[in-house]
Amino acid sequence: MRYTYLWLMQLVTGVLIAILLGIHMVMQHLEDILRFFGVNLNDPASWQSMIERSREVIWAGIYIALLAVVLYHALNGLRNVILELTPSAKTERVVTRTIIAFGIIVFVWASYVPIALLSR
Amino acid sequence: MDTQKIEQITLRVQRYNPEKGGKPHFQEFTVPSSKGMTVLNGLIYIKENLDSTIAFRTSCRMAICGSCGMLINNYPHLACHTQIEEFHSDSLTIKPLPNFHIIKDLVVDLTPFFEIHKAIKPYILRNDLEEMENPTVEYAQSHQAFESFLQFTYCIKCGICVSACPTSASDKLFHGPQALAQCYRYCADDRDDGEQERFPVVGTDHGVWHCHLAGACSESCPKGVDPALAIQLLKRRLVSRTLRLGKKELPATTAPPPAQAKPKIPFPEFTVKQAK
Repeated sequence: MRYTYLWLMQLVTGVLIAILLGIHMVMQHLEDILRFFGVNLNDPASWQSMIERSREVIWAGIYIALLAVVLYHALNGLRNVILELTPSAKTERVVTRTIIAFGIIVFVWASYVPIALLSR
Repeated sequence: MDTQKIEQITLRVQRYNPEKGGKPHFQEFTVPSSKGMTVLNGLIYIKENLDSTIAFRTSCRMAICGSCGMLINNYPHLACHTQIEEFHSDSLTIKPLPNFHIIKDLVVDLTPFFEIHKAIKPYILRNDLEEMENPTVEYAQSHQAFESFLQFTYCIKCGICVSACPTSASDKLFHGPQALAQCYRYCADDRDDGEQERFPVVGTDHGVWHCHLAGACSESCPKGVDPALAIQLLKRRLVSRTLRLGKKELPATTAPPPAQAKPKIPFPEFTVKQAK
């Protein structure tokens, strides 16, 4: 049932990307729409606003969660594409291990930034 | 002028014999055609009158055996179920089914196709082996339960869905729509208990989870089966079993065989005197 869980996670991460990316887009790039509803964020794309956001745990959490779900969704999708084009047990082993290692390295490296900003 | 066009049809048939080597090439045959004539009739005419070395499979000539699947004008059809006049053309191109190895001319190797079909155990599996081997009762199946999988029982294993499937074209280990649809057909049968044996076979990277839902299988099936639907239903069934969600289906109830339940109807007397 391992593959069933992998596929289910692909669906769940797809939905989570839509939610988390939606929050990011609305809060930072669709401020005109928010202003229409009476919410004023005071230029969320400016450097000062970004630094202020980075000191909030909830924003750091949202970005780390977005990073994790995007990495899973993209790398699992890439793995599926590679395995479809070069199907063999050996390829599957090599591709799976390489992609897991690559995902962990990118996650640790990229999540360091919000954590470091949070601890300033 | 039109009548003359209908009387003659040119069949461009792909020829290839791996034993002799070379590359697949086309050979043209001019065949007399008449109303109602099928592509298979044309091929049989070629074999009987023009070139006896041409190879193709055929058996029932009535779209039941699934032997004569081939690519006619770049679309997979059963040759016995496809009339020449359907194409409104004076030339037809006939090739073997794609996604299979060619044995000779229009004959493809269906061995891997049937190996996968066998692997999903396409028969009723039950836990009570003794009852299966020596049945004492019958399973009473409701019409609703029967109709939930009825259309998938119409599969004739012709391989046309696999030849149309884009995933089968790129992934040589993909189980293909036919085997996956048959897996669903037996899992959905309430007389069956074999999910635990079939799910490890189909719930893999090259099984049900690799279907892209292109729908070409359902589009091309000559018997009107919808394998794409079966695959989606199989995915739902796999997920609900894995997460232990959904209602538990009640197994088919048992009933005594009709012979025991009803009195035997006496054999009627002969109305015509038998000669002594």
